[in-house]
Amino acid sequence: MNENPFPSIIPEKDWKKIQRMLSKRSLWMIHFCTGCGAMEMPPTMTSRYDMERFGIIPMATPRQADLLLVTGYVAVKTLKRIVRVYEQMQDPKYVISFGSCPINGGLYWDSYNTIKRLDKYIPVDIYIAGCMPRPEAIMDGFLKLMKDIDEGRADGWLRYRKYYDKYRANQMRVFRRWDE
Amino acid sequence: MKAEELFKELNVEYEMMKVKGNEDPRYRVKVNADKLEDIIVKFKENGFRHFVALSCVDWIKDGKFELIYHLFSYETLEDVFLSIYIPRDEPKYRSLRHLFPQIETYEREIHEMFGVDFEGNDRLIPLILEDWNDMPPMRKDFDTEKYAKEKYGSIPPVEGGDEE
Amino acid sequence: MKEFELFIGPQHVGVTGNMMYHIWVDGDTVVKAETNVGYLHRGFEKLMERRSWLMNIALIPRICVPEPDVNEAAYAMAVESLMGWDIPERAKYIRTIILELARISGHLLAISGYAGAIGLYTLPNWAIGDRDYILDLFEQLTGGRVYHIFIFPGGVRWDLPDGFLRKLGKVLDYLEERMKLYDEVMFRNEIFFRRAIDIGVIPKDKAIEWGVTGPNLRACGYPYDVRKTDPYAAYPDVEFEIPHYPKFGEFEAYGHGCDCYSRMIVRRLEIEQSIRILRQVIEKIPDGPHILKLPNPIAWKVPAGYAYARVESSKGEFGYLVISDGGKMPYRVHVRGPSYTHGINVMEAIAPGLNIADFAPTAFSLDVCPPDIER
Repeated sequence: MNENPFPSIIPEKDWKKIQRMLSKRSLWMIHFCTGCGAMEMPPTMTSRYDMERFGIIPMATPRQADLLLVTGYVAVKTLKRIVRVYEQMQDPKYVISFGSCPINGGLYWDSYNTIKRLDKYIPVDIYIAGCMPRPEAIMDGFLKLMKDIDEGRADGWLRYRKYYDKYRANQMRVFRRWDE
Repeated sequence: MKAEELFKELNVEYEMMKVKGNEDPRYRVKVNADKLEDIIVKFKENGFRHFVALSCVDWIKDGKFELIYHLFSYETLEDVFLSIYIPRDEPKYRSLRHLFPQIETYEREIHEMFGVDFEGNDRLIPLILEDWNDMPPMRKDFDTEKYAKEKYGSIPPVEGGDEE
Repeated sequence: MKEFELFIGPQHVGVTGNMMYHIWVDGDTVVKAETNVGYLHRGFEKLMERRSWLMNIALIPRICVPEPDVNEAAYAMAVESLMGWDIPERAKYIRTIILELARISGHLLAISGYAGAIGLYTLPNWAIGDRDYILDLFEQLTGGRVYHIFIFPGGVRWDLPDGFLRKLGKVLDYLEERMKLYDEVMFRNEIFFRRAIDIGVIPKDKAIEWGVTGPNLRACGYPYDVRKTDPYAAYPDVEFEIPHYPKFGEFEAYGHGCDCYSRMIVRRLEIEQSIRILRQVIEKIPDGPHILKLPNPIAWKVPAGYAYARVESSKGEFGYLVISDGGKMPYRVHVRGPSYTHGINVMEAIAPGLNIADFAPTAFSLDVCPPDIER
């Protein structure tokens, strides 16, 4: 919940700090393997590298998830579904992108079907480099995201609301129909 | 039946492909486009029941498309590659999906990627690409780097930062 | 009753990757199914025509993500056919080590995916943890956990490090012990019998015609394996069996074949056979060079011709048709993945009549991997 439950006891600025501290320790990620980086997700989830000790577990539906992982390259057909899933998630929500393909195109820089920069279509909070990133690098990315949430810097969802027209114009240039 | 006996009955010329690594003999035959269906039926009745793949090659300098039908027999352990040539300006051919069911999917993909029309196949809807209205992408005169730069490089970033 | 349309879509726990099944149901029974692919298309065949013969090896493992070494091996064998090279014996044995380890890790993933689909979540946690030991061995040998770029045309990239064969023996001992635990939890479990016997049946007389290959074909009763029908690498020198229905060894041959039960038992028995092959390779590996002398990679031209190489992956038959016109880059490469037939026309043919709850386990038991459908 985002509202202060005891407005008379807890002052408003302290409530923001408490809310961020509690929510950073229970981020639920949505179960969507969008590209080849998803091969290193099962080892991160199971007992050897164990991301569940930080409170991160996979969730089946977007309505109850906070974290979207774009694992690797994004083809045009998948971008439409990523945008739909992102818009169905509730605020506050965060996006982490894996690998070198969402940064500048990566290995497929001259392909006709992959997008080259993910930042033009949805706002990204953390980038993790590698091809593909090791589980230790993924955990490092999660810890950096938690630190950013604590200090109030992870505000991709606010930027999406503010610059919505520009993001939408960029998306419609890549896929021509939105309703199909 | 062995492949060489079948070639003698059908009176076609063949050549062997080079093989290192694997061990089975591979035969390559160029056939006439009208006789292809009878030849495939004859091979299918004689043990060549595994249809491996249907590939298309764009020979732009000769102005032709080559369709390669690949069959394999588990009884005599031999590969046969049957190739036909169709003209590049108006590429079309008969559909052979009544012989093997996976030919329907291969024809869908070749229609989308090369632009070849298969008559008799009513399910030539796009398999892989969505909302594509440019030239068929696997042809040799489609420049993929220029297309990627024009389409994706021209989109402005939202909040500043450099272009790549 | 009117039919209801459902999408088992790209963002779903019950699909093996990023693909979509479009199904029509009547009550609880599936009436019609259509597969929708294309979410992972990168245009590999076009990209391969723009890179030189040696640069392609960095691009190729990304075609099949759970088991990338089969791509490198098939491409290397096709290029060797065109050049007319015979590779040294030690290189053949090292390639066999890598391909068999990749096969074990691919089968562990398939078993864990199926177990997760029927609700047994202990097995995925164990299997993915055990698979990490194999990925550690790959990291010591090649430098990367998932993508190796190790098998070059002409041999392998460098020789085995010291002590590698001893560590490999220890990992194989560990895996043999763990297989007994997997039997207790899943393969002799009454719930597995109820959910897998006579579900998702492929008709036996049509299996070869529909293009079914790999463990799915062996579960229908045909003992065909590319390692015996078209041998490559060090397989002519080692002894192994081909598990097929109904010769299941210590497991009972329930059902009538070609169902989910047979497919899972065939995969379980193939892990044992792979461990047996690896132990023989550890004893018999000869000394010698590990690669031929490669020409200058900037000016490497391959003579014109057609070549086709096939490899047995853990999913089926993987084939590469490489056509060269005498230049520095390939003219045309066509990749034939095993899931092209399993995922599209076999699934559309066996889906009518299934329960919705049995649809996802059937897809997992056929081991459909979307990147090699649309590369």
